[in-house]
Amino acid sequence: MKTKLRTSGGLSGPWPSRAQGRFPRRSGSSGTVDDVGLSRRGLLQAALVGAGGVALGGALSGCATPTASGSGRTSVMIWDLFSGGDGGLMQEMVGAVRAGNPDLDVDSTTLAWGPPYYTKLAMASSGGRPPEAAVMHLSRLAGYAPGGLLEPFDLDALAELGITREDFPAAVWEKAQFDGQLYALPLDTHPYINFYNPEMVRQAGLADADGKLRPLVGADAFLDAGRDLAEVTGETGMSWGYLRDPAGCWRVFWGLYSQTGGGYDLTPGKAAELDTAKAEGVFEFLQEMLDGEVAAPNQDGGAATGRFMSKRTGLVFDGEWDLPMFRDALGDNLGGAPFPTIFDQPANYADSHSFVLPRQATPDPEARQATYRVLADLLRESMTWAQAGHIPAYQPIVQMPEYQALVPQSDYAKAAEIAVFDPDVWFAGGGSDFQTRIGDSMMDTLSSKATPKTAVDRMLSEMNRLLSQPDPAA
Amino acid sequence: MTASSTSLSAPVARPSRRSTGTRPRTGTRAVSHSLRAQDRSGYLFVAPFAVATGLFLLWPTIYGLWMSFTDQSLTATASSFIGFDNYVEAFSDPQVWTTLWHTVWFTLLSTVPLILVALVMAVLVHTGLPGQWVWRLSFFAPFLLTSAVVSSLASWLFQPEIGLLDVGLAKLGLGPIGWLTDENVAMFSIALVTVWWTVGFNFLLYLAALQGIPQQQYEAATIDGAGGWRRLFSITLPQMKTITGVIVVLQLLASLKVFDQIYLLTGGGPNGSTRPILEYVYDTGFTNYRLGYASAISYVFFALILVFTLVRLLPTKKEA
Repeated sequence: MKTKLRTSGGLSGPWPSRAQGRFPRRSGSSGTVDDVGLSRRGLLQAALVGAGGVALGGALSGCATPTASGSGRTSVMIWDLFSGGDGGLMQEMVGAVRAGNPDLDVDSTTLAWGPPYYTKLAMASSGGRPPEAAVMHLSRLAGYAPGGLLEPFDLDALAELGITREDFPAAVWEKAQFDGQLYALPLDTHPYINFYNPEMVRQAGLADADGKLRPLVGADAFLDAGRDLAEVTGETGMSWGYLRDPAGCWRVFWGLYSQTGGGYDLTPGKAAELDTAKAEGVFEFLQEMLDGEVAAPNQDGGAATGRFMSKRTGLVFDGEWDLPMFRDALGDNLGGAPFPTIFDQPANYADSHSFVLPRQATPDPEARQATYRVLADLLRESMTWAQAGHIPAYQPIVQMPEYQALVPQSDYAKAAEIAVFDPDVWFAGGGSDFQTRIGDSMMDTLSSKATPKTAVDRMLSEMNRLLSQPDPAA
Repeated sequence: MTASSTSLSAPVARPSRRSTGTRPRTGTRAVSHSLRAQDRSGYLFVAPFAVATGLFLLWPTIYGLWMSFTDQSLTATASSFIGFDNYVEAFSDPQVWTTLWHTVWFTLLSTVPLILVALVMAVLVHTGLPGQWVWRLSFFAPFLLTSAVVSSLASWLFQPEIGLLDVGLAKLGLGPIGWLTDENVAMFSIALVTVWWTVGFNFLLYLAALQGIPQQQYEAATIDGAGGWRRLFSITLPQMKTITGVIVVLQLLASLKVFDQIYLLTGGGPNGSTRPILEYVYDTGFTNYRLGYASAISYVFFALILVFTLVRLLPTKKEA
């Protein structure tokens, strides 16, 4: 019991010790905060830790970050969400940067990917003691920058370190802006692409002179190619594990919808607008694809990638972040290409990992300067990052012959130029409830239990529900 | 053994105690004095728990109630009092009612088998299956696993196309079942996993109750010519009534709190068909950052559980 009390005493702020004395007197009060003489933030934090502790177990631990280490070196802590195969590579990069900056104490903490990561980041930022830097999906910026949870980058300070806007693809740089300022320093672009088995592609007569998959343009060309592959494999031609992966459903839908040129209007407080005919067209294509011949209609991610790796399908829709896994299974017999152009114009769903500066309650100029140095050095280590499959955002790396020699990375690097991100609205983005809900609402249609119209109707109603809610950052 | 022998000898000693009639007065004073001292030390003993309860249960509860009247968000810097707006929104939000129904539906699907299966298992073990400890262990062991482990296991079993269950069914020539991917099946699958996981606890309670039935009753009944079934229905089951009442309440409360295994197995899908109200609260508060509104939904749910518990508990009090 005693140890338990000690840990509770370790909460931020003066609140536990005071409240222990005050609690009995105040137990019947209305719970107003100001008259207790504590900061509302402190109370909110403590209450959240209390309430969250019940709901989330240990998920909320690790909120506080030391700003300086005992050794007197300036400490730079970076939070990331690379709990997959790329996490090891990030550790490698951080290790290299640490070795190059012996005067700094560089450390990184990897937290689980997904909604809990953003909950923790938001709580740490609103509590005023976040890490010096954190990794964020560029698609989440719309929910963070307007609420004052992040601080913009100083372009002059970056330029001094040799980092300028010319070093980044225009689309990605543009997406990192809010209100005319740079709020995120892009690390990569990570599109949802297709991987293929070059040997099978050759047998199916789908290879070009270099032995690479020739561009498949149009729905019919793609479906025919799928049938040709099916003849080679003796099972289905390709695989896509959409079941139990709402985010994957959303990525494929949104990429294809962008290919149709369909517009959209997602403005909070107004009804959602989509080109419903074009959206239904996307689902008609996907239903046709998941017919049991081109692709199996009942696979989840594990089954789909498993079939591709055991050479029972010749092509798979997947995020490029699974490259290390495929490489382990297939070695050099692995190809990659941007998402096929099924509709009118090329477009490839993508997101971007970027570095952001969470707002500090008491900013330390020295730590901030050190953070810039560390982030600039990390960008220069992007060659390591490319091994994870990600396309480095820092162009000097992409233009290096070493990168151009990386196969299949350099084959799908073009996807970054036709990248399509999530809509710019506070509730969208990687690891958001929006992606889960929207992807979930199209599941029945994809497994042909419902019509394309059902998916579009459900999607619109989910969008309207979110649009009718107040923006929590506003 | 020594305790029972002294109590047996007590009646013999009593007369001699009674004869020393002058003693009690000083005795009472001493007793009441020491009681007061005990009183104080009693507070010391409960203090750690009281403080922990105050910090982590009472205060968050009160603060949550306050938040439910504000537009507090996880990300914005300021919040303001908005009266009953959140409650008005909650009552007209169809998501609150659908997810509440999912929670109730899960509670029904899980509670009934969790009681019946536990009772059957306990009776079987008690009536003398050979190798008692093996059964006790294997029925109770899953209860020791954490929700994450249980969910991982279930997720592999239920995996579409390559999961053990679907592969097994395919060998029997039966079609694949969308265990976690079919709207009409997913909740049953989750209830199935939950029963396997937690039935051990109820089983243990039933087993303890069964072992508390005096053996003489069975002996007497046997002498009167009652067979095995007769003894089961006339002696064993009627005596399970009280413990069943306890288990029903405990089980309902546990099932209404469902979150972990659903969050881990389906995340509330497919098409939101398994999303329990607590996940909606979590999504609203922690993923969409609307703490005020999430608190209001929590309190609506809390009020419902409270009313339900009172209604259920009051009659049992009368019985006792």
